Amino acid sequence: MTIIKVRGLHKSFGHLEVLRGIDLDVAEGEKLVIIGPSGSGKSTLLRCLNQLEEATAGSIEFDGTELTARKTDLPKVREHIGMVFQSFNLFPHKNATENITIALLKVKGMEKHEAERRALALLDKVGLSDKAGSYPQELSGGQQQRVAIARALAMQPRVMLFDEPTSALDPEMVGEVLEVMRGLTREGMTLIFVTHEMKFAQEVGDRVIFMDEGLIVEEDIPSQIFTNPTNARTRSFLSRVMK
Amino acid sequence: MDVVWHNIPYLLIGAVTTLKISLIAVTFGIILGLFAGMGRLSSNKLVRFLATCYVDFFRGTPLLVQILIVYFGLPQLYGQGQTFLFIHFGVGHAVTTTQISDFLAAIIAFSLNSGAYVGEIFRAGIQSIEKGQREAALSLGMTPSQSMRYVILPQAFRRVVPPLGNEFIAMLKDTALLTVIGVEELLRKGEILNSNYFKPFQIFLSVAFIYLIMTLTFSRFVDYTERRLGVHDHN
Ligand SMILES: Nc1ncnc2c1ncn2[C@@H]1O[C@H](COP(=O)(O)OP(=O)(O)O)[C@@H](O)[C@H]1O
Ligand SMILES: [Mg+2]
Repeated sequence: MTIIKVRGLHKSFGHLEVLRGIDLDVAEGEKLVIIGPSGSGKSTLLRCLNQLEEATAGSIEFDGTELTARKTDLPKVREHIGMVFQSFNLFPHKNATENITIALLKVKGMEKHEAERRALALLDKVGLSDKAGSYPQELSGGQQQRVAIARALAMQPRVMLFDEPTSALDPEMVGEVLEVMRGLTREGMTLIFVTHEMKFAQEVGDRVIFMDEGLIVEEDIPSQIFTNPTNARTRSFLSRVMK
Repeated sequence: MDVVWHNIPYLLIGAVTTLKISLIAVTFGIILGLFAGMGRLSSNKLVRFLATCYVDFFRGTPLLVQILIVYFGLPQLYGQGQTFLFIHFGVGHAVTTTQISDFLAAIIAFSLNSGAYVGEIFRAGIQSIEKGQREAALSLGMTPSQSMRYVILPQAFRRVVPPLGNEFIAMLKDTALLTVIGVEELLRKGEILNSNYFKPFQIFLSVAFIYLIMTLTFSRFVDYTERRLGVHDHN
């Protein structure tokens, strides 16, 4: 079953056309990896999927709901689409638990003790049960990103979007975050990763999309695209990042 | 110096009035400023325009003129053929003939004025919060107003404590302008003393010291609050 359906998506910032006609179907439960050079529009595409960016033209359907329609209740839709940012974006005035419970309390209207129970379970899942009361600035980058993942998971979204979740991390912290994400891939949730971790992409991806200059240039299963890319631009990009 | 020592309590009564006006006005100023600041950032053009007019007017005109407009101008709007007030103002009869108490006029003028400055402080504070904060809130399903209320404003409030403190101190000093409409605040009390004793140097220097004690106390308090609130902020 298709959960996300993108047709003819265009996005411009002023005169700069960043997405130039994207068509994409994502199946429920699929692990999709998006790769491509910096500035090719990967983040913009991801941000259009939960409408942090408004599309200039085209359509985006999430589970049958047209997101670009005026009457669409975007906050409601976004409850089902979790997002993890390159820069974590934890709320600095809230501790780890509160970062996770705030949306449960204010958006879902959950009871406080129930929300806290869920937060603790999630912190345990990302290996941070001992940091429940810590504030973001008391945590390392890797720990912050794991709290951010737990925060997104708390809403029990149907899709999770990851925008270069390990790019801002010191090398020694990349592994712990990849480990958490690897765990998620075993759970049947739809996951879309923008990443430069090519080994991780090969390992967990059901399908890899290569973007360049606002277009999807090539897509295939990882074993094909990484060993035998057909497009010249894909080949040159991969030869640069895989060495 | 005896003149001064004997009349310290008298001056302090004025200082209390100064404080009272400052505190009440800053409270209203913060409320008005919150609306003005958010209005300036509104996506609604009309709201933005009105908020900008308000802020520009009160920041772009002399406070003394604003005080006179409120004290003499507002009562005139309520009819009663008050044009003669302005004629009498020059010879000092206005105080007895206006329809608005000088204290109330002071509160209105200072609240409106401080609302405009505080509005700009809030606007800057809100804009200083990284845009990723709002995006994270929205991505969790919060509405724009929930993200403002639970994520942006609590962080912005911490950042505006120092400029708000400075604004308060500036306002406290500006209340000296109220002598022109006869409010018996600190400076006015000094003037009255001086008209009895004719010791301007001692009297006005004491007045200045009392202002200084108040402003220094508040700036220490602001420093302290800033350090307390800074504990859980990342920059
Ligand atoms: N809010 C914005 N305003 C203007 N230009 C933007 C904005 N966001 C992204 N861009 C531009 O769009 C292009 C694609 O950006 P992005 O989607 O972030 O690429 P990627 O994630 O693939 O590196 C870049 O040239 C970037 O400068
Ligand atoms: Mg990017």
